[in-house]
Amino acid sequence: MSKSRKIKEILGLNRRNQEYVRPLNPPSAKRIADNKILTKKILARERIKTPEVYKLVKTKKQLQFLDFESLPNSFVIKPNQGTGGNGIVVLYGKKKGQTAWIRPSGEIMTARDITLHIENILDGRYSMGSRKDIAIIEERVKTDPFLKQYSYKGVPDIRIIGYNQVPIMAMMRLPTKKSNGTANLHSGAICTGIDISSGITTYSMHMQDRSIMSDSYEMIDSTLDLKENKKLGGIQVPYWDEILEIAVKCQRASKLGYIGVDIALDAEKGPVVFELNARPGLGIQVANQAGLRWRLEKVKGIEIKSINHGIRVAKNLFGGEVEESIEAISGRKVVNINEKVLLYYKTPVSKKKNDPQNREAIRVFVDTGLITSRINKTLASRIGFFEAIEYFYSLSIPKKFESFKEGQEYIDSNQSTIIGHPDILRVAKIVEEGAIKIRPVIHVHTKIASEEKDIEMVITEDTTYNVVIGRNELKGYLIDTSKTFT
Amino acid sequence: MDYTPFTKWVLDNGIAERTLELLVGIAIIATIVSLARYLVGSKSFGIYVPIILAVAYTYTGLRYGLIITAVVIASSLLSFLILSRIRMHYISRMAINYCLTIMSLIVFFVVVKKYNLGLPNMSLIQPLAIISIIALSDFFAKQQIKKGFKTTMLVLGSTIIIASLGWFLITREAVSAFMVNNLWLIPALIVVNILIGQFSGLRFKDLLRFRTIIQEKENVKK
Repeated sequence: MSKSRKIKEILGLNRRNQEYVRPLNPPSAKRIADNKILTKKILARERIKTPEVYKLVKTKKQLQFLDFESLPNSFVIKPNQGTGGNGIVVLYGKKKGQTAWIRPSGEIMTARDITLHIENILDGRYSMGSRKDIAIIEERVKTDPFLKQYSYKGVPDIRIIGYNQVPIMAMMRLPTKKSNGTANLHSGAICTGIDISSGITTYSMHMQDRSIMSDSYEMIDSTLDLKENKKLGGIQVPYWDEILEIAVKCQRASKLGYIGVDIALDAEKGPVVFELNARPGLGIQVANQAGLRWRLEKVKGIEIKSINHGIRVAKNLFGGEVEESIEAISGRKVVNINEKVLLYYKTPVSKKKNDPQNREAIRVFVDTGLITSRINKTLASRIGFFEAIEYFYSLSIPKKFESFKEGQEYIDSNQSTIIGHPDILRVAKIVEEGAIKIRPVIHVHTKIASEEKDIEMVITEDTTYNVVIGRNELKGYLIDTSKTFT
Repeated sequence: MDYTPFTKWVLDNGIAERTLELLVGIAIIATIVSLARYLVGSKSFGIYVPIILAVAYTYTGLRYGLIITAVVIASSLLSFLILSRIRMHYISRMAINYCLTIMSLIVFFVVVKKYNLGLPNMSLIQPLAIISIIALSDFFAKQQIKKGFKTTMLVLGSTIIIASLGWFLITREAVSAFMVNNLWLIPALIVVNILIGQFSGLRFKDLLRFRTIIQEKENVKK
């Protein structure tokens, strides 16, 4: 793909604001996303889980009477209208016998420290436009044990961009030691792209700190600073379908036309929505190594009839990142069960090798149960083996044999006449429509998964598939079974 | 200087020449800020700060202006460092920041005079220009609390670059004479800004940010 095409696929800040955020996210909807309490209320109506609220502190008076003894061992303090994760304090555990709590960084916060922090929240230090704010004291989400092994202390969260009720792109943010257990990319968290159709992670990025630019990413393979670093590509995110469903539901409930949904996986509750975002960032494109713009434009104007319809559209349109990344990691090509293959004519029509006149594009069926590939008689004669077929059928070979042994005996005694035509390499004994038959084998020049090669094919009379690719040709390929003929 | 009839009319009807030059300059700098934001993607402390800095620099001269800016920023950073250890209210923190800035500036001016560091005497400079530069510390400190050190320094850098660019344009005799003589250019700047305002393409910074996506696939093709 050319560079300029690639550039056109990327969504920039200007277009995000002008074509998506401003026209699609009305002020009333933005107000919901910018207000965590309101978000919780609206999502509760749709039975979407959010972290449980322990206490709300609305005024300094309430803060004076805040009963620290009643607070649990671990909780989170958040500004109701905070932006970008600012002002969020996670308290991990309580110090024994004291009214003091421990932060993931090891720092200890006493009741006085907490009071001061909440005061700052109330004063609007973390809210948009420094407006007065409310402090939320809520449940600390306990990380799903599977994802826990990839993150340092904090909770990984999954961001999904939704548009027109279709999940468009997804990524996971993993807290690191450097980010102090927060999922904030600017403080050093890792972001990992997720294939929408399968929920499998693809590329992983990490913000470079030495660069002068604020948004410069570096591609990484595994976690950076855990005791035991793990490979980041190819992780299956648990609850994937449920996560997509929640993302679409959140979009419906909030009426945000262009939305970023942040979901965490709780060890007990499963997917829990952290936050809705009316101006989701564009860094997700880097994590997925793909542009948002063309995806958004593909989905534009499609009438989505139900939640499942939205998910289906997303899976059909935006799957496939995994294939590329598997190829990059394993060096193996991925072929689908029905793969598009180019068959070249035996004698080229045009002198130029790559002229489309010289070949035919065929949907083939990949069958690991077969050894040698097969080609339908009609197709074989069309691509230039007409004479060979004519010759073979002019021989009076019995229509069927009782056993393979009998077939082999026939071949042995008539060897020279059967392979009398130069195009026929040999003959093969195959089972077709329940009978054992002898069929000619030819060499066909093909291009599978962007690789050119000669394939031995048995000419059959079976018309179910034009071409079936067998095991002989599949060495070194990975077969993706998720795409079928439907 | 020869003016067009319209400019002459404006000047004869209560606007001083210097004032008119500055007013036109403000319109130009405002447009530069908008260009920088939406075409380049470099953020500044709003539109007001670059304008006020550029205008202040026309009074102080660029070199002196930049040095005062550096002193203001350094003292803001210092106060931030000292005060970060003490928990205190926001406005009080800002007030201390101002006090420290003023103290550093006084010391600075005395040092300049005493050791004759080759800078023009302070008494020649409009106090208001210096005050305008001091106001920068307010924006700087606020940003620092909200967005952290690195982002703030980046924004500060681009603010100063835009302001210097603005200073350069409005102090060119030819530019200001041309603008004053062609006041219709101000509505033309509106048209320019309407165009920038409609621009939905990638900013220069977007291109840098997403360069891995643009390059990556090309490599695969090979």
